[in-house]
Amino acid sequence: MDERLQKALEFSNFNLTINNQKKNIKNRVEQLRIVHYAGGVFRAGEDTISFVKTLIDLGHTESVLVDSKENPVKINKLQELLDELLSAYFSATNEFAAHYDKIKKARNIKSIMDW
Amino acid sequence: MTDNQRGVCFFAYNNEQIDYIRLAMLASKYVKRHLGVPVTVITDSGTMKWAEQSLTEYNLSEYFDNIVITTDEMKQNVRQHYDSPWSTFEAQFSNSNKHKVWEYSPYEKTLLLDIDYIVRNNYLNHVWDNYTGVGMFRDARNIRNEPPAARETWLFDAGIKMWWSTVVYFDRSERSELFFNTWAHVADNYEFYRYLYNFPGRLFRTDYCVSIATHILNGMVEDDVVNQLPTNMYFLDQKDDIIEVRQDEWICLSNDREEVWKNILVNHGAIDLHVMNKRALDRHWQTLWEKADG
Repeated sequence: MDERLQKALEFSNFNLTINNQKKNIKNRVEQLRIVHYAGGVFRAGEDTISFVKTLIDLGHTESVLVDSKENPVKINKLQELLDELLSAYFSATNEFAAHYDKIKKARNIKSIMDW
Repeated sequence: MTDNQRGVCFFAYNNEQIDYIRLAMLASKYVKRHLGVPVTVITDSGTMKWAEQSLTEYNLSEYFDNIVITTDEMKQNVRQHYDSPWSTFEAQFSNSNKHKVWEYSPYEKTLLLDIDYIVRNNYLNHVWDNYTGVGMFRDARNIRNEPPAARETWLFDAGIKMWWSTVVYFDRSERSELFFNTWAHVADNYEFYRYLYNFPGRLFRTDYCVSIATHILNGMVEDDVVNQLPTNMYFLDQKDDIIEVRQDEWICLSNDREEVWKNILVNHGAIDLHVMNKRALDRHWQTLWEKADG
């Protein structure tokens, strides 16, 4: 095989593996971002966190929110929901950063696998 | 909450190829570590006798809080299994009484898991207080983040979407009872529904039963009678393999469906995994058992 092609294919395989690994980390992070609260399912994303914080800043202590399944959910304690969202957000993003850093430094498949 | 308020059930019927009860014991150990709930195994007397003979070094009652012995007659249901693309075997797949978990489960809130579904974090603990009725996964991805094969996504190209019966959460509500009665009806009339829903193959699949039952209860349209568990269910395909088991990382080989001689390595983190290649689970049983101690 042409050496140039062989090298290209090796890199292609490495790239495929590393991209899949990034997706796997995102899957884990997405799970960590899910918050079940008051019978609803919320994603601890920047938009939800900002919206809940805005409601609190405007003086609301309770509200009806539409959850990720498009169901209305009555929230009696907005501050408590915000705390849960932030906790999920931080644990998800911290894990994301730690794993992503490891992948960013990887230069071959062996290092991704910790071999 | 008392012990019988919530718990996990496994079905385990051995055949000449797969030691289901041994795999159930492994799956149970992971459930106890990550979910911290009691486990019931539903089995038959032959399988139980085998467990008592072959697993003498283990205290079965430590891993199975309840053992339910059934005498249900199973439909003949031969399934082709893969262990990598290069090795296949056939074995009886005893699943025709799976809907009877409604009757056999001692719990008020039950998670029915397949014995090849390995719990690797506490994600499923969300179900107990947040869902009423029935909950299942609808979307799945393999370890290289691809969707499942066509017939594991849709029952038919122009048909209904498939729900996975790998993980079934239910409470004791009337709606749950209705669901299990409908599942039983579909199972009893499987040939008719095969014709009606136009799905191929001769294998009796509980995934198809629950999908049809859900479709019927939804009023023959897309609706939310059954709760869809958030996120995907992740699975290791029968043609994939496990290479190395670490504490929270499994190094796996993911097979390319189109070009079967091509594989990529995958470092799979602490996410629950439906390990369809049961031989792979069996090969790594001892290491998996030790790592389950944490």
